[in-house]
Amino acid sequence: MSQVQLQFRLNGKDYSIQADPTQRMVDLLRENLHLTGTKVGCGVGECGACTVVLNGEAVTSCLVLAGQMQGADILTVEGLSETQIGSILQQCFVDGDAVQCGFCTPGFLMSAYALLLHNPHPTREEIKVAVSGNLCRCTGYVPILNAIEAAGLRLAAEGK
Amino acid sequence: MQVRTYIRPASLADALHTLATVEEPIAIIAGGTDVLVYAREDDRYANSALIDIYGLAGELGQIREERDDLIIGALATHAAIAKSPLVLRYAPILADACRSIAAPQVRNHATIAGNIANASPAADSLGALAVLRAKVGVQSPEGQRELAMDQIIARPYRNNLGPRDLITYIRIPKLEGYQHMFYKLGRRRAQSISRMTLAALLKRDSQGVVEDFRITVGATFPRPMVFPDVDAMLIGIRPAQADLEAVAKALSNKIPEIAGIRASTAYKQPVCEKLCLRILNNLLGGDQQ
Repeated sequence: MSQVQLQFRLNGKDYSIQADPTQRMVDLLRENLHLTGTKVGCGVGECGACTVVLNGEAVTSCLVLAGQMQGADILTVEGLSETQIGSILQQCFVDGDAVQCGFCTPGFLMSAYALLLHNPHPTREEIKVAVSGNLCRCTGYVPILNAIEAAGLRLAAEGK
Repeated sequence: MQVRTYIRPASLADALHTLATVEEPIAIIAGGTDVLVYAREDDRYANSALIDIYGLAGELGQIREERDDLIIGALATHAAIAKSPLVLRYAPILADACRSIAAPQVRNHATIAGNIANASPAADSLGALAVLRAKVGVQSPEGQRELAMDQIIARPYRNNLGPRDLITYIRIPKLEGYQHMFYKLGRRRAQSISRMTLAALLKRDSQGVVEDFRITVGATFPRPMVFPDVDAMLIGIRPAQADLEAVAKALSNKIPEIAGIRASTAYKQPVCEKLCLRILNNLLGGDQQ
């Protein structure tokens, strides 16, 4: 497939690159831009390891066509620490032992980021729904839910 | 994915022009949450022109009212439908169905028209759309037409659309004063492919007499079904328990009648009967709203 010029905003920076628009967004991120924080697990949208935030919403980047990045505003795990919500989330994941092998972590963080972006003080049930498309085979989920809940409380304490 | 050409129309008019003129076999992609899964399995799109309409969400993604109808743009995502104030007011059963699809990441990107066009027998939106008597607006170089839910899908994974047809909207008659219930039976709440869905709408007058009743079963038949004969069993009466049991029996009897006796029938038929009875009891035991 021939290349096209794709322009988008990624982690707060403007990009204009030549790329195959029919590849998957996750492949463009990992192979073309070498942003390998976004993981590929199942490749069919079931595990959530490839979750990124596209125009403010969590999506599985294995099921988004690179061509659909045209004009979009994208956040991946690499840009997370530059945001207030992301930075708090990362610290809460570390403090709460919400990471074991780490493969699912970028996806969980991005799903949690999208949740807190729209709903800074979610209930436990809202947190569970927000990460229902992310699979973790290590932690048993409880530390992850706790970490996201703690991030919500810290955001509240910081007046967000 | 492997394709012959990739075309990203700038407007609906541009998309219709492309559909009318392109020479290769046509594959239309919206959210792509099914197409990108199929593209992993084989090279079925290798000779196709891939027409990416996702960028047309401004024109084709709106949810609005048009007199007595709700018009849902083809590119409205499941997430947008699930939280739309108009859908929650006039067709809340569709919001419930869309909320039960996959997980947030897919609901944020997958579209209602894609769910219809993909024609999976287990698609969660289809049962709700069937009881809502939704019509699907289709545009092609020859003109515009509307198809009912049981007309647009031929059989599992085959719709009745031509290659140059484009779904542009879903028309749903507004409902008020109805109770509704959408039930999804799956192995877990998120991500599961439905084993069965039930969708029911009920309207009663102040005396408890049923003015309207519609029920269907999804993930069970080759295409979305409506059952006017079953619906009629409750209309005009104040249902007693025996009436509800008769409806549950009649509805579950449709499974061997239409789908034939299959390996799953021994499971699905009694489960359908139980679920139907439970839903009817919930609806009739609850408040009218």
